[in-house]
Amino acid sequence: MEYIVETKGLSKSYKGKQVVRDVDLKVPKGCVYGFMGPNGAGKSTTLKMLLGLIRADSGEAVIAGNRMNRKNRLQILRCTGSLIESPSYYGHLTGRENLEIVRSLKQAPEKEVDQVLKLVRMERQQNKRAREYSLGMKQRLGLAAALIGRPELLILDEPTNGLDPSGIQEIRELICELPKRMGITVLVSSHLLSEMDQMADYVGIINHGQLIFQDKLDALHEHSKNKLLLRVMNRTTALKVLENRGVESRATEEGILIPGLPDDHAAALAAELAAGGAGLYRMEERQKSLEDIFLSLTGRRASL
Amino acid sequence: MLREWKTEWMKLRRRKAGLLILAFLGFTFVWCAWVVSDADLQDLADGYRWILSNLSIINTILLPTMLAMLASRLCDMEIKGNTLKLICTMEEKGRLFDMKVLTGGVYLVFYVGAELLLLVLGGTLMGFGDPIESKHILYFLLQNIPVSLVIYLLQVMLSFRFENQIIPLAAGLFGSFIGLFSWFFPDSSLFRWIFVWGHYSLLHFIGNTWDEATRIVTYYDVGPNWAALGLVTALLVSGYLACRYLFIRKEV
Repeated sequence: MEYIVETKGLSKSYKGKQVVRDVDLKVPKGCVYGFMGPNGAGKSTTLKMLLGLIRADSGEAVIAGNRMNRKNRLQILRCTGSLIESPSYYGHLTGRENLEIVRSLKQAPEKEVDQVLKLVRMERQQNKRAREYSLGMKQRLGLAAALIGRPELLILDEPTNGLDPSGIQEIRELICELPKRMGITVLVSSHLLSEMDQMADYVGIINHGQLIFQDKLDALHEHSKNKLLLRVMNRTTALKVLENRGVESRATEEGILIPGLPDDHAAALAAELAAGGAGLYRMEERQKSLEDIFLSLTGRRASL
Repeated sequence: MLREWKTEWMKLRRRKAGLLILAFLGFTFVWCAWVVSDADLQDLADGYRWILSNLSIINTILLPTMLAMLASRLCDMEIKGNTLKLICTMEEKGRLFDMKVLTGGVYLVFYVGAELLLLVLGGTLMGFGDPIESKHILYFLLQNIPVSLVIYLLQVMLSFRFENQIIPLAAGLFGSFIGLFSWFFPDSSLFRWIFVWGHYSLLHFIGNTWDEATRIVTYYDVGPNWAALGLVTALLVSGYLACRYLFIRKEV
């Protein structure tokens, strides 16, 4: 598989406290990679290290096949666009003038300003001063700036932060479109699981500065081994039957939770419970939500 | 380099930095005109020395404040708009710092140059005795530009350091006060040497004597204080390198 971003042992500490520890990111080309983690997990620090905005204590980053160092940083970053934390803009300049500055520094063709304005649907507001924009508009302006120069890689740090629901939806749709429409790989961070579930093809989960999971989103879902919820008339009897069969069980308010079983095993168990007088009246399949998986991986509750 | 330079000027649109310079220039002009309005024939005969002597004090008072405002105009837009984390992915931090210094330097040279131009024009109109001497022009530039650049570097660092621009502006006003105060001390006084704002008075190149009986002030040339110029040059070079280093090291 071809990776557009690959890091090896990326680490950073502040005043003796390690905020990023040996992070080995692998971002496949042409996908939306969701970089998840609770607040303060080290997402922004990792992304800033990728952009060379802060120096890594150790480790290396390879972007688009080039190992980044101080000398070639800008050369490599020419193929990237970024939006880190809050949007960056010159408030006294219009949206268009802001984009002209980015275009000038990136040495991109003049027509690109119009193209990105159209892409983020800001043609009508382009001549308004940036400080008069709403937060959503500023975020779109930031995204437009990141798209100038036709980047191969877009690094977005919590791009939907502070947006209203319609703004969030709009940005999400735009992010999802980018790989298909323009062949751009998007590395997007968020602490919102539901957001990642809707956008990402691949996910990386960071917690306490360590990358604890990295794979396809489907693989993360596979972590949610199905469970069966048994609803019975007689709990004590049911638990005894399960114990005799050697089935791991846990009594909850709703019923008794047991690990998922193949159909034939489930049928046999149902017959045995009925015969034993447990009074089984319902058997439901339960799937772990992404929230549950995240919680089991990080030990911390994340936002939904 | 040219690309970054051009971009820096694009950023300055509507920042009214030029207007700020013109406002201070206008104020200086009015102040000098007020001084000249009180002139007698004796003053006009040695008009350039007389005005240059006054202009040195006026600049000591006004330049630190103007430089604080100028640095703030040029730098706080990067802080307010969180632009460093965007710009620094496209431009070397050191280059960005150089552009800020260079842009401020251009404004400063324009300001000092315009002062000299107004001085010559005013002198011609008022009929000053002797034409302005080229060494006076040189000494005036040496007195004002290096010291102002050191102060400007300091102000750039303060403007980048503090989100609230009141602090750098207060530093500018403090500098104006220290500078004015330094004129009350002799060259040998430590006060003139330890504060950079006092270096305007150290590099003053025109002396005067006051005859109490005739109530006449006589102006005369004083050779430049080379030791002070050496100190200012050393401060300028080391200050530039130190500020640039600190700016590069600052994480965004």
